Amino acid sequence: MNLIGSRKKGTEPKSRSGLAIAKMRFVAGVTFPLLLYESLGIFVLAWAFVLMFFDYSSGRLGGPILGLGGSNPFVGLRHFIEMIRGTSVEANLFRVSLRNTLIFAIAILPLNLAITLPLAWLLESIGSRFKALYRTIYFLPVLTSSVGVALIWMSMYDPQAGWINAIIRFFGGTPVAWLSDPHAGFANISIAMWAVILAYLWQDYGYNMVIFIAALQGIPQELKDAAMIDGANPWQAFTRITLPLIRPTMLFVCVMTMLSSFQVFDIIQVMTNGDPNNQTQVLMLDIYKNAFRYQNLGWAAAESFVLFVIVMIVTIVQMRLLRTDWEY
Amino acid sequence: MTATSFPAPIRSRRPFPWAKFLRRFLLYFALTLGISFTVLPFVMMIFSSFKTNLEVLRVPPTFLPEHFTLDNYVKIFNDPKLPLLRFYGNSAFVSIFNVVTTLFTSSLVGYMFAKFEFPGKRILFGWFLTMMMIPSQITMIPSYLILAKLGLINSLWGLVIFSAVDAFGIFMLRQFCETLPNELLDAARIDGASEWQIYLRIILPQLGAPLATLGILGFMQTWNAYLWPMIVLQKIEVRTLPIILTWFNSTHTGQGALVMAATVLIILPILIVFLFFQRWIVQGFTMTGFK
Amino acid sequence: MKRKIFALMLVLAFLLTACGSKAPAGPTVVRMWVHTNNAFIAGYEPLIAAYETSHPNVDIQLENFDYELYLQTLQTAMPAKEEADILQLFGTWTSQYYERLAPVPADVMTIEQAKEIFYAAPIGGYIVNDVLYGMPQEFNMEYGGVLVNKTKYEAADLTYPPQWQTMADVIADALALTQRDEAGMMTTAGFHFTAADPSSFSFLAGIMQRGGDYWNADHSGFTFNTPEARAQLQWMVDAVTAGVVDPVVFNDSTNFVIDAFFQGKVGIGYIGTWAIAEGQNNFPDFADEWDYLYLPPTQGDPVFVADSGWGLTVSPNSKNQVIAWDFVKFVTADAANARQWNIASGTIPAMAAVAESAEIASVMPWVPKALGLLPFGQYLGNMPDRDLVVYEIIYPHILNALQGVETVDQALLAIDTEANSTFK
Repeated sequence: MNLIGSRKKGTEPKSRSGLAIAKMRFVAGVTFPLLLYESLGIFVLAWAFVLMFFDYSSGRLGGPILGLGGSNPFVGLRHFIEMIRGTSVEANLFRVSLRNTLIFAIAILPLNLAITLPLAWLLESIGSRFKALYRTIYFLPVLTSSVGVALIWMSMYDPQAGWINAIIRFFGGTPVAWLSDPHAGFANISIAMWAVILAYLWQDYGYNMVIFIAALQGIPQELKDAAMIDGANPWQAFTRITLPLIRPTMLFVCVMTMLSSFQVFDIIQVMTNGDPNNQTQVLMLDIYKNAFRYQNLGWAAAESFVLFVIVMIVTIVQMRLLRTDWEY
Repeated sequence: MTATSFPAPIRSRRPFPWAKFLRRFLLYFALTLGISFTVLPFVMMIFSSFKTNLEVLRVPPTFLPEHFTLDNYVKIFNDPKLPLLRFYGNSAFVSIFNVVTTLFTSSLVGYMFAKFEFPGKRILFGWFLTMMMIPSQITMIPSYLILAKLGLINSLWGLVIFSAVDAFGIFMLRQFCETLPNELLDAARIDGASEWQIYLRIILPQLGAPLATLGILGFMQTWNAYLWPMIVLQKIEVRTLPIILTWFNSTHTGQGALVMAATVLIILPILIVFLFFQRWIVQGFTMTGFK
Repeated sequence: MKRKIFALMLVLAFLLTACGSKAPAGPTVVRMWVHTNNAFIAGYEPLIAAYETSHPNVDIQLENFDYELYLQTLQTAMPAKEEADILQLFGTWTSQYYERLAPVPADVMTIEQAKEIFYAAPIGGYIVNDVLYGMPQEFNMEYGGVLVNKTKYEAADLTYPPQWQTMADVIADALALTQRDEAGMMTTAGFHFTAADPSSFSFLAGIMQRGGDYWNADHSGFTFNTPEARAQLQWMVDAVTAGVVDPVVFNDSTNFVIDAFFQGKVGIGYIGTWAIAEGQNNFPDFADEWDYLYLPPTQGDPVFVADSGWGLTVSPNSKNQVIAWDFVKFVTADAANARQWNIASGTIPAMAAVAESAEIASVMPWVPKALGLLPFGQYLGNMPDRDLVVYEIIYPHILNALQGVETVDQALLAIDTEANSTFK
C-alpha cells in the first residue's frame, strides 16, 4: 500500500531509537495541550471539592480567596453530619431526594431492560423489510429534547384535557391527576413518580434498543442454527446462547442506564420541579435548587459529592457482577 | 409395521402452518403496539399544533383538529421577538463546534491510549474514567465564575470551551483503536511516515463508523442541552433552542397549541439530521465493539 | 497540528475577550433585567422609548427571564459581577441582596422623601438597615382581591353583584358554582384560593385579623404554632372539605388561578390585581363577563400583610449608575410615567398620588375599591429569604394540610420549625 504517495526525498527509514523518539514526541504533543486543558478542569473540581467544607452563599461577599472564609465560614464535616443526623429542612429534603433518586434509578433499570431487550430481539427476528423503519421510529424520542418531551407529556397528563385521562375515561376508568395528586400511588411509589418514570422510559428506551439490536446482529447465525438443530426451543436458545453472548453489551447498557437515571434533571425540572410535595424531587434537582436558588453552595457541593460516591459504587458493583470473558 | 429406528424428534419441527402464522402475527402485533406507544405523543404534539388554543383545552379532548389551522406556525414565524433563524444558528454553531472538537480530541487521545505506552498512562486514563462519573452540577458554579472572569459569559464561545474533551469519546475510541492491527502502524513507520501522518492518513480513515456514532450522539446532546446554556447565556439573542422553548412556554401560558407548534419546530431539525445520517449511526453501533 | 489548533483557539479566545472589553463607540448601553410578565413589559417599552428619545446617547436594553430562572440568574450573575445595570427586584428580596445593591443616592431621593411619596408597605421592602436601595412601582396586594365570573354567577342564579358580609357568604356562593364531571373530578372550582400567593397571604392575614402575629417580639424569629394560625388553617381546610375547590386538581402548578379562571374553570378566583392584565394579555378570546371585587375580612378590621411589590434597583457594579438612577427615577417617581406603567401592568400604584388619581379610577375601577384597604396593609417584614419562606415552606405545608397529606397541627409545626431554621 502506498502510504505517502511518492516517498519524500531525503526521508529514510528511521532507526529504532529515532522511532522511539518520534513516538515520544507525538505523545508529548498530544498530552501537553491535553494536560493544560485538563488543569482547568482540575482547578474547577478542586474548587468544587473545597466548597463542600464551607458554608458558602453566593449572596455574601465572603473572604478574599475565591470568596471563601469571612462570612462564608469553614465548617468542616458539618454538612455531612447534618445529612445523616440533622433535622433541618435541607437535611430532610436531602434524605427525601436521595430516596426518590434511588427509587427512580432502581425502577428504571429493570423496566427499561424488560422493554428493550425483548423488543430488540423481536425486531431482530423479523424480516428486514420494516426493520429499519421500526428502528428509526423507536429512536425518535431519544433525539427529542428533554424540554420537548416534558412539555408533550405534561399535555398528555393534563387531568381534564389530556389524552391519557381521555383514554382512561373512554374505557370507563377514573381519571387521575397524574402530576399533582399527592395521595395516589402504586407499590409504595407516588403516582407522580410513576408518571415521570413513564415519560423518561418513553424518551430513553430507543437508545438501548438500538444497542441491543447491534449486539444481537453480531451473534453468528451458525450458533443459533446449531442450537435449533440440537432441539432447543426459542426460549432456551435465547437464555442459554444469546444472553451470555451479549453480556458485555448488557454491562454497558446497565452501567449507562443507571448512570443517566441517577443524574436525571431536565425532564423532571420542567415536568414537576419536584412536586407534588417533593415526591418527584431527585438529588440532582435538590442540588440545583440549593446551588442556584437557595444560594447554599457548600451544601449543594456536599450533596454532589454524595451523588458522585453513590454513582461510583453502583458502577463498580455492576462491573464486578457482570464481568465476563467469553469465547465463541 | 416396523418401528423405524431413528430417534424421535424432541419437538415437532414441522408445526401446523397456522401456528407459524400465529407466531408471526403476535410478533408484529407486539412490535406495532410498541411503535404505537412510541408514536402516540408525537401524534398528539403534531395534531395539537394544528388546532386552535381553545380547542386544545376541550374536555374531552379531540383527536383530529376540528378546524385545521396553520395560525400557530404563522404566529411563530411572524413574532418579532422570536428570530427563529437566529436561534437555529446559535444551536447549530454550538453543536457543530462541539462535535468537531470532540471528534478530533477523542480520536487523537483514544488512539494514543490504545497504541502508545508512556509513564503515567494508567493514571491519566483512570482520571478520564472518573471524570465520566462526576455529576456536572458540582462543577457548574466554579466553571461559571471562571467564564465570568474571562469575559465569556453570554458568548457562545464560552459555552463550548469546557466541552472540547469528552471522556466517553476517548473511552470509546480507545476500545476501537485497540482492534486496529499494530503491523499496519509499524509498516507505516518503517516507510518513514511521521506519527502525525500515521494518525491522519491511516488511523482516522478507519475510524469512520465510531466517529459517526460519536458525532451524531454529540450533536444530539449538545443540541438538546438545557442546564449549562441556561446558566451561561443570559441574553436572549445568544440562547439556544431548548431554553427558548421553556421561555416560550412560560410567556405563553394557556396557549397550548402554540407551544406545541414551537415544540415541533424545535424538534424538527434534529430529526431531519438524524434521518439523513442514520445509516452511519447503525453502522457505528454495530461496529464499535459493543460486543 | 493539534498544538497549532489549540494555540489558535487560545488566541481567538483572547481576541474575543479583548474585543469584549473595549468600550464601543456609540450610545451608552444600559442593561435592564425584568422578570417575564408580558403586561409589565408592555408598560416598560413606551417608557424606554420616551427616555431614549429625550436622551439620544442612551440605549436601554431590556431582557426578561422566567420567574424561577430570574432568581437563578441573579444568583449566578451577582457573584460574578455580571448583572445588569438596572435590576427589577421584588421589594422583599432586597433584604437578601442588599449587600450587592447600590443605595439610592441622596440627590435622587432620600428616605424621607420616599416615605412621603410611596405607601408604607411597598417602600418598606426597599429599606434595609435604614438605607434605601430602590424604588417601588406596585403595591403588591395578594390579599383580599378576587376575580369573579359574572356569567357563571348568573348561570347559577346567584345575586350579582354579590353582597358578601362575611366569608361564609363567599363560601355559600362558591358551593353553588362548583361543578364536577361524571367521574367526580372537579371541572369548575367555586372558590380557587389554593394557589401559592392567595393561600399564603390569606393565611397570614387571617392570623393578623384574629389578633395574632407570626413574628416574635423583636423580629428575630417566627411564631407559627399559635392558636390564631391554627384557627385560620382549620378554616381553610374546612372550606376545602365543604367542596369549594379540589386542591389536588387546582393549585399553584396545575390549573393556576389565572389560567384556570380565564379558561372558564373558576367561579371566584383569589389572586392579586396583576392577574387582570396578565389574563387579558394571555387569553384574549375569553368570552365570559367578569369583575374584580374584594372579600370581606375574616373578622374585625381588614388587617393584612403585603410584601412590597416589584420595583427597580441599580447594581453597584454598573458603569452607568448616574444614568441608571435617572431612568429609575423617571419610571417610578414621575407621576405620569408611573401611572402609565401601572395601567399597562394592571398593578396597584405604589405612589399614593397616582393610586388616588382620577385617571386610575376610570381605567382600573378596582383600585378605588382597594384604596379603603390599603392603609390596613402592613409590610411583611424583612426575612432572610422571602421566596423560600413563602413558597417553599408556608405554601407547601398549607397545601399538604388542604390535601389531607398532613394534619393542621403537623403543618403548623413544620412551618414553624422550617421557617425558623432560615435564620441561620
